[in-house]
Amino acid sequence: MNSRLRCPICHGLVAGTDPEFPFCSARCRTQDLANWSTGKYVVHTPLFDPELADAPEDSDESPLQ
Amino acid sequence: MSAKTEARVNLKAAEATALAEPEIDGEYTAKSIKVLEGMQAVRKRPAMYIGSTGEMGLHHLVYEVVDNSVDEALAGFCTRVEVTIHTDNSITVVDNGRGIPVEEMEVDGEMKSAAEVVMTKLHAGGKFDSSTYKVSGGLHGVGVSCVNALSEAFDLEIWRDGYTWTMSFAKGVALAPLERSGKTAKRGTKITFKPDVSIFTVTEYNFDTLANRLRELSFLNKGLVITLSDERSEKAHEFKYNGGIAEFVKHLSRGKQVLHDKVILMEGERVLSEGVLVMEIALQYNDSYSETLFSFANNINTVDGGAHLSGFRSALTRTINSFGQSLGLFKDLKENLTGDDVREGLVAVVSVKLPQPQFEGQTKGKLNSDIKGPVEAFINEKLGEFFDHNPPVARKVINKAIEAARAREAARKARDLTRRKGALDSGGLPGKLADCSERDPERCEIFIVEGESAGGTAKQGRDRRYQAILPLKGKILNVEKARYDKMLGHEEIRALITALGTGIGPSAADLDYAKLRYGKVILMTDADVDGSHIRTLLLTFFFRHMKILIERGNVYIAQPPLYRIKKGKSEQYIKDDKEYVSVMMKRVTEDRTVRYGEGAAELEGAKLTRFLVNLSEYFQFFEKVDKRLRNLMVTEAALAAGLEKKADFGQRTKLEALEEKLKKLPGVTATELLLDPEHNLWELRFKNTQHLQMCLNWELAALPEFRQAAAKAALVRECNVPPFLVSDGDAMVEKASGRELLDYILEESKKVFSVQRYKGLGEMRADQLWDTTMDPARRTLMQVKLEDLVAAEDIFTTLMGENVESRRSFIEANALDVKNLDI
Repeated sequence: MNSRLRCPICHGLVAGTDPEFPFCSARCRTQDLANWSTGKYVVHTPLFDPELADAPEDSDESPLQ
Repeated sequence: MSAKTEARVNLKAAEATALAEPEIDGEYTAKSIKVLEGMQAVRKRPAMYIGSTGEMGLHHLVYEVVDNSVDEALAGFCTRVEVTIHTDNSITVVDNGRGIPVEEMEVDGEMKSAAEVVMTKLHAGGKFDSSTYKVSGGLHGVGVSCVNALSEAFDLEIWRDGYTWTMSFAKGVALAPLERSGKTAKRGTKITFKPDVSIFTVTEYNFDTLANRLRELSFLNKGLVITLSDERSEKAHEFKYNGGIAEFVKHLSRGKQVLHDKVILMEGERVLSEGVLVMEIALQYNDSYSETLFSFANNINTVDGGAHLSGFRSALTRTINSFGQSLGLFKDLKENLTGDDVREGLVAVVSVKLPQPQFEGQTKGKLNSDIKGPVEAFINEKLGEFFDHNPPVARKVINKAIEAARAREAARKARDLTRRKGALDSGGLPGKLADCSERDPERCEIFIVEGESAGGTAKQGRDRRYQAILPLKGKILNVEKARYDKMLGHEEIRALITALGTGIGPSAADLDYAKLRYGKVILMTDADVDGSHIRTLLLTFFFRHMKILIERGNVYIAQPPLYRIKKGKSEQYIKDDKEYVSVMMKRVTEDRTVRYGEGAAELEGAKLTRFLVNLSEYFQFFEKVDKRLRNLMVTEAALAAGLEKKADFGQRTKLEALEEKLKKLPGVTATELLLDPEHNLWELRFKNTQHLQMCLNWELAALPEFRQAAAKAALVRECNVPPFLVSDGDAMVEKASGRELLDYILEESKKVFSVQRYKGLGEMRADQLWDTTMDPARRTLMQVKLEDLVAAEDIFTTLMGENVESRRSFIEANALDVKNLDI
């Protein structure tokens, strides 16, 4: 795999061949594990019915601007 | 070479002890025994004196000789030391110091030249008395005599007071007394020695090892010139550093990204009862995580540190802590920074010079003198002053240490996640895992199921021989008015790691693939937004910490059905909306026809089904586009405008036509065509009913939903002409729009079928779940592939905020729905 991504922790570029991929280093991997361990990773779910998930979000600006 | 002893002039010839090997019987006299005693002891236990008989000890011989020359430099009498490695691995060291004293002196009742005494007697030297050498590295006086004892040949030449003096030894035994061999104008000492091959296990000198130590010495002694030439390879080096240890630190920092350009240098003296303590400390931080630190006492590299180093460390920690406190940088830190925290990225040289240093061991690895207090006080003061005058540097240094403290904390938390502890049952497996009985991992599967109730159903429905179930509960937090946040808690992640068995750790190499307990890891989550988010979390975790499972194709996504439709006794499970619409439409169109456009044309059979399915998909994509434009009529016009290619925005024609249409629509005002100079493309701007500025440009038209909607629009254009007349042979019903037509057909089909939509796995019976999703003979699994996850990781990162931050980009997050992840 020759793709490059940004390290999820420090946002530095990481090559797909890096042994710690997708992290740049063991240190960033450790930080990520700590984040999982302390429940830092959260996905946001809308509170309304998933059927309506495509309904416009009540934001006050157009995403096109 | 240094004068090891100050002696009075006495020209009485010394007694020769020119024996190649000491004799035990025959001429065995009390006089010879003492000389032999000392030198023989060195030969018998060389490691006691020079550390080892390997590579280290071999090189140590050179250091002993050179150290004596450097002592002359410290005393202010020597400016140049030349070291040569000869082709036979013998060494010559020449200096321009005062020359070793040649006068005769009385030792143990005999008269010998001072030089001979220095070369043959242990503990003979000028360094016990600090009046000769205020500061010196050589201390116990064993140095050069050890070198002599361990050399098969050792030649000494002294230039002093206008004469040249020579003397030769073999294995520490003088071959003849010191001889005045001629006149000279030079001053200094030359020693050539060949290490005894019968003692050393390594006899080849390493140029780089010597170069490193000599470079060190020249850094530590500002201005002293040291040369090293290797006659075996013609390599040669001259070391001369006027910058002293600050330059040393720069040298050590080369190739690293430094946090502050200027080396922090602290120089000063303190008067102790024994004499003057000279301290030089230089340090610089870089962005690495490692520490490079050298400490020296009287030029001796104290590899095991000692008092000077511990003084340095406590002062550094204390000063950084007190400045961090007073600058208010520790707000979110639980405790003070530790000594380890302030070491990360530190490059430092601590050099002290003191009278009568106390070392541990002959190789002097550790300084024992009681100087921790004065060194610590000195650095506290000087570093404090420096930070006061250079606040930006202070901040950078302190922040670097804070970063290290956080990393330490992170490592602790990470360990917490992987460590086994009592919450697990006796087999070491998580309590809520329902394991399978099969022991061959190849044949085992684990279903990771969201929620307790779905977990219960799955446990009942599974084949317990080879299917294990691990229920995980997404934790809901932070409920607000429009959304709630979901996460996988500590225990859930721990259970997952333990169940899979491979272990994980701070390095990717900590995972042991061979220990994977299941050949297939199957994520089984609800087919709703919530389920997709839990799956996102799990896949992200796998991708980041168990990538090899994905690489080797162990990770799958189960495909539970979304609908069950039933007609009479026959039932059918349907996996998604697309299939649902198509099945329902097909059934209804079997006995219906539809006329469109004022009854102009008629659709029936397969053609009608295709039209209805396309129409349904068109509406789905249409809604997504309309979410951005927020005006049904504008969206319709935009999709119909034929804006497919970038080139369509390169000229005004198509956009002008669209502008004309928009102008006629209610609620649309202030339309204008503008050229975006950045891309040289035209864009159409207008204000909508809420007077918000909207923009129709290539960026919008390039979105996948816009392209798909436009493509479907083209497919349905011909027949999407209301009103529609639906006939079932008997009655006719008129529908005024495509949407109404679709709704009507779906309602009609529901009269034929009984439809059940599964909102979650928990709504299914155990046997239904087995039939549709878990039975290997009938189920469909999607294998997760790495490429897809690499592409998705960017979306994961956007999707997953850290608790505090609210994410504006939720709509984009939703883009990561089932369709994008399913492979």
